[in-house]
Amino acid sequence: MAEVLLKNITKRWDDFIAVDNQSLDIRDKEFLVLLGPSGCGKTTTMRMIAGLEEPTGGEIWIGDRMVNDDLPKDRDIAMVFQNYGLYPHMSVFDNIAYPLKVRGTPKDEIATLVERAAAQVELVDFLGRKPRALSGGQRQRVALARAIVRTPKVFLMDEPLSNLDAKLRVSMRAELKHLSRELKITTIYVTHDQIEAMSLADRVAVMRDGVIQQLGTPDEIYNDPANMFVAGFIGSPAMNLVSGSIRGGIFTSDDNTALVAVDSKDRDVVVLGARADDIDITEAGDGDLDVPIYSFENTGENTLLTVQLGAQRIIARGERHLRKDQGDRIGIRLNPGHIYLFDAETGIRIRGNGD
Amino acid sequence: MKDNTLKYLLVMPAVLVVFVTAIWPLIESLRLSFTVGRLNRPGSLDQYLGWENYSWAILYEPAFWNSVQVTAIYTVVTVGLTTLLALGLAILLVPGGRLRSGVQTLLILPFAMSPALIGVSFRFMFNPEFGLFDAFFGALIPPLADVSWLANPTLAFSVCVMADVWGWIPFLTLVLIGGLASIPQDTIEAAQVDGAGAWRVFKDVTLPQLLPVLAVVIILKSIFSLKTFDQIYMLTNGGPGTATQTLSHYIYFNGMKYGQVGYASSVAWLMVIPMIFLTYAYAKFVFRKR
Repeated sequence: MAEVLLKNITKRWDDFIAVDNQSLDIRDKEFLVLLGPSGCGKTTTMRMIAGLEEPTGGEIWIGDRMVNDDLPKDRDIAMVFQNYGLYPHMSVFDNIAYPLKVRGTPKDEIATLVERAAAQVELVDFLGRKPRALSGGQRQRVALARAIVRTPKVFLMDEPLSNLDAKLRVSMRAELKHLSRELKITTIYVTHDQIEAMSLADRVAVMRDGVIQQLGTPDEIYNDPANMFVAGFIGSPAMNLVSGSIRGGIFTSDDNTALVAVDSKDRDVVVLGARADDIDITEAGDGDLDVPIYSFENTGENTLLTVQLGAQRIIARGERHLRKDQGDRIGIRLNPGHIYLFDAETGIRIRGNGD
Repeated sequence: MKDNTLKYLLVMPAVLVVFVTAIWPLIESLRLSFTVGRLNRPGSLDQYLGWENYSWAILYEPAFWNSVQVTAIYTVVTVGLTTLLALGLAILLVPGGRLRSGVQTLLILPFAMSPALIGVSFRFMFNPEFGLFDAFFGALIPPLADVSWLANPTLAFSVCVMADVWGWIPFLTLVLIGGLASIPQDTIEAAQVDGAGAWRVFKDVTLPQLLPVLAVVIILKSIFSLKTFDQIYMLTNGGPGTATQTLSHYIYFNGMKYGQVGYASSVAWLMVIPMIFLTYAYAKFVFRKR
């Protein structure tokens, strides 16, 4: 058990910068998720912590030891790979036992530990099988058992659920969360799935183009995004971003639709963000603004209404019994307490009235 | 015309060629192996002896056993050396990059040479007067300076091995590069993270996954080593004495040079025995069901 410290880590391949001078302090026993679109440097960051990739610059600390020059085997970590990385020629038992075997653990102790790890991931009946005789979910469990069979300083998980089908992913997510609460070991988890990040993490680091955009609890990331990228990346559906201007405390979209009162000085170009849940839907004429429906979707648990706002479109979430049709007009009202303003050029959040 | 008839008609020419050049000679050689079969004795090709040619070779012919021994040692040494060196080279080359594409092109050159040509060029290289290797080894290891390589039984044998290994490494390396490249990188990295050092990763993860390819390589090379002829013929012609006389060479000598085609055929059929085992093993590995 240990904290992980990244000090000014950079990874460069020729002209391509995968990770750009990033620092990150992962606390002891913390579940930290590196979240971002593909190619943002999250997996590279994790692979550098694992020792599978050498940083171009900077320091990596695990516990009180700088591990830059340590081989992966000497870093006392366990890793779960996206494609499981199981040894195809070994049985499930031998797969799980391997980290113990290379460390010269006595045979009877190995048997006990493997049994225990297999029980934790409900694999006891499959110990004699080869990986190819297992389903995707079972293989993922083997990979997980191999990681938890000993007590490493750090768990590294590289998109462990991304190869599973949607239904299995949800149940495995819950199992992972349960397991991580039980084990209480520092965990670094890489994913591009914001729901996984939100539901698993103690803290989330949102990355883009090799730079951490925001580091915070899921609540902070969701409710207090630092910039337009984080705002647009987190949440399903993504946050509505409308460009326009502010005059006399009123936000007006690019096509001169007055939308909502904001507490801000006048600005010529600004982006307003509002989540689908923070837009109230009313009958036409009852809201602040009447708009035509571009498309109406019923997801079963609620409804999604995409409405046309001049040349731009925004999505609002309606209650599950609402029934509308394409072309109908409805009224919308933005909740002034739940809107965000972003600098149109830099994408950085404008807080307060921005003076 | 029915499709079925046409189908057979179309493969007929190929089958005919194979029959005339391979199947029929095979059957004919089997028949000959039971005859007196001397080219200089009219009628002897139809004079049946029963198993006498076989028993003669096995019971009374030290030259036969000598060539069996030479072939066996030659096969074991060349297969072992070629496989090990090719494996080492493949491991060095598999990470890829500019080095690999360059070296890979160079690598293919020895393989593009015909074995007979390799034999001739090695004979020149070890010529005591102007041979490059002869001079090179002489300078490197002074006791070998005044040795005539191809006149010494052990050294001549080792020259044969060298030539064979040199000619075969490229092909085996390419096959093994393919085998190594098809091993999922994930499993190797998983082992590293699990705590295995370089040697254990190789032993526990890489090698077991390479085994099917390695087996095919070893079997294939064994078949080719067993039937080596042209290279030896050009390089030492079996000499000095019979020090480098492989079975194929022994068969050729008896059949073509001495005209004892009956006896040569029986030895050839004795050589078929290990070949059948190897071919069976090869087929089993190549067409094996997962």
